[in-house]
Amino acid sequence: MNVNVVLVGHVDHGKSTMIGRLLYDSESIKDERVEEIQKLAEEYKRRFEFAYFLDSFEDELKEERTIDTVSLMFKSEKNYYTITDVPGHKEFIKNMLTGASHAHVAVLVVSAEEGVQEQTRRHLFLLKMLGIKEVFVAVNKMDAVDYKKERFENVKAEINEVLSSFGYPTGHFIPVSAMEGDNIYRRSERMEWYEGPTLIEALDGVTVEGKEKPLRFVVQDVYEVEGEKIVVGRVESGILRRGDGVIFEPSGIRTKIEGIRVFEGELEEATTGDCVGILIGEEVKRGDVGGTVEKPPKPVEEFLGEAVLLGKNLKKGEQIELRCGTAKVRCEIKEIKEKIDSETGEVVERNPDEINEHDAATIVFATEPLVIEKFAEIPELGRFVLVKNGRNIGAGVVLDANF
Amino acid sequence: MGLKELENKSIYIIREAYAEFENPAVLWSTGKDSTTVLALCRKAFFGKIPFPVIHIDTGYKFKQMYEFRDRIADEWGLDLIIARNEEAMNAGVGPGDGKFECCTKLKTEALMQCLNKHGFDALLLAIRRDEHGIRAKERVFSPRDEEFRWNYRDQPLEMWDQYQAQSEGQSETGIHTRVHPILHWRELDVWEYIKQENIPVNPLYFARDGKRYRSLGCEPCTSPIDSNAKTIDEIVEELRTTKIAERAGRAQDKEKAFMMQKLRALGYM
Repeated sequence: MNVNVVLVGHVDHGKSTMIGRLLYDSESIKDERVEEIQKLAEEYKRRFEFAYFLDSFEDELKEERTIDTVSLMFKSEKNYYTITDVPGHKEFIKNMLTGASHAHVAVLVVSAEEGVQEQTRRHLFLLKMLGIKEVFVAVNKMDAVDYKKERFENVKAEINEVLSSFGYPTGHFIPVSAMEGDNIYRRSERMEWYEGPTLIEALDGVTVEGKEKPLRFVVQDVYEVEGEKIVVGRVESGILRRGDGVIFEPSGIRTKIEGIRVFEGELEEATTGDCVGILIGEEVKRGDVGGTVEKPPKPVEEFLGEAVLLGKNLKKGEQIELRCGTAKVRCEIKEIKEKIDSETGEVVERNPDEINEHDAATIVFATEPLVIEKFAEIPELGRFVLVKNGRNIGAGVVLDANF
Repeated sequence: MGLKELENKSIYIIREAYAEFENPAVLWSTGKDSTTVLALCRKAFFGKIPFPVIHIDTGYKFKQMYEFRDRIADEWGLDLIIARNEEAMNAGVGPGDGKFECCTKLKTEALMQCLNKHGFDALLLAIRRDEHGIRAKERVFSPRDEEFRWNYRDQPLEMWDQYQAQSEGQSETGIHTRVHPILHWRELDVWEYIKQENIPVNPLYFARDGKRYRSLGCEPCTSPIDSNAKTIDEIVEELRTTKIAERAGRAQDKEKAFMMQKLRALGYM
């Protein structure tokens, strides 16, 4: 099974070190890379650090902090993992979101010395918004608190409070030392009071859910191949079958799947994630979404979303672009209902005229006709990015709409 | 990810690039990765790649690479553009001038001249995250400024599959976007896919007299590794157990610390 894991948490709580340790102990790092890092550490007169496996920019080494997200792959006895490191600084939240957007589960890294800090909370808030439901909490740097159970329990209580304030169920807590290798890949002999799984055992127990959903086929393009019009796109959810009656929105075209085409030939059906061509004998266009006649997509012109802003500011009444699936539409910020502090998750203002960088908000968007879905139902079409002057400046999820 | 999943994601990226940019092209070194990208492009467009294929010729490539290039270009009906920095080549620039200088002149600048001449606004490249630490930090759509620079301190927000494609007016201003369709593949995946799909590869990858090339570049700066892998199956088996890095035989990565970052900041692949 493939599991995408993102490590989040405050700066200097040891995310990069923990991933370096996982890779090293699982023997996923080539010898040459270890030598290279040792050489580099000498050159820059630093102690060898596992984090250097990940922080590959010179600036990252000099500044001793992660600037950009990085994904690395490794294998345990049970799963294939893509493990993503994200920066713990507020100024790099954009990179954190980029890294976290593909994750199935998260590991929150919290220093046993420092406990909950600003980015601990903000990252948890953003994970919740992105729909990441399972969070493992690695209480790190246990070596610095003499592996004391008491300290672990204190941090655990503190984190549980934050988790419940964001609506998470109680987390799974693991006392670790990434630096020393305790309870990451190898069971620690220095914390016999802990009887739960190691980090890798906990991750190996993860199941990636696959809920049955209605068909949604997003149109990427229409190609003409040897005089034939082939509509290409991706099955975002459900199953596409030859012969199905389908409706494409917002174009409003009702037709039938006459054929499913790939380079090698014809298919009878395509499943979630498949990129295929379809023959439908009708003109549809990029941005259209197809579904079966029984459960068709419904275009909306207004919806309620929760978003986080990474650009400078966003004002009520402003016109921007919004992208969802392959659709790109003009939309207006019709109403900002609540401004939310992305660190605490608390509503700080109702009906403000604008929000600023790093603020979250619930917003009513008025858009050109667009197919979206509630994030809770079909997440693939329930998430969007906000675009201003060609730049992605924010991201959000669909809470509700009048379908 | 399984091969099916990897392939789907790559085809999605290729089609996004084709839909979003006015004038894209794909870069082809003739190596295993970029040949795989060409094979994926053929799939994405049902056989015929609808944009040019650029080969950067430094004059220092292996003889077998040129032969392979011309054979495949013919078989697959590629619209092949050969990019050479004639001025630097005539001036005799070579690895003796230092690897940084040589790569920048013969590869990066050759590409820059080609882009300016044809006005390409997007370039599909076969880099992978697992090849090099610095490539692991890349986005799928990665903008370059008019001087080819990569602003790695301020990369775009790229969530889910919403790639930032700022296409309008790009070719006029000399900005372009790098598109990375196999960023998420591992070296082993590439070989397993080559085997599954029967993709042609350069014979230099297979062992002769106990040595084979694992990564192909210019002849003077590429050394073979010890290996007895004579078939694709044997290469796959070798990769499952090896502790040697893929680019171990590529001199330009190693001249000094952060060489690759410096090369890439200037527009190297």
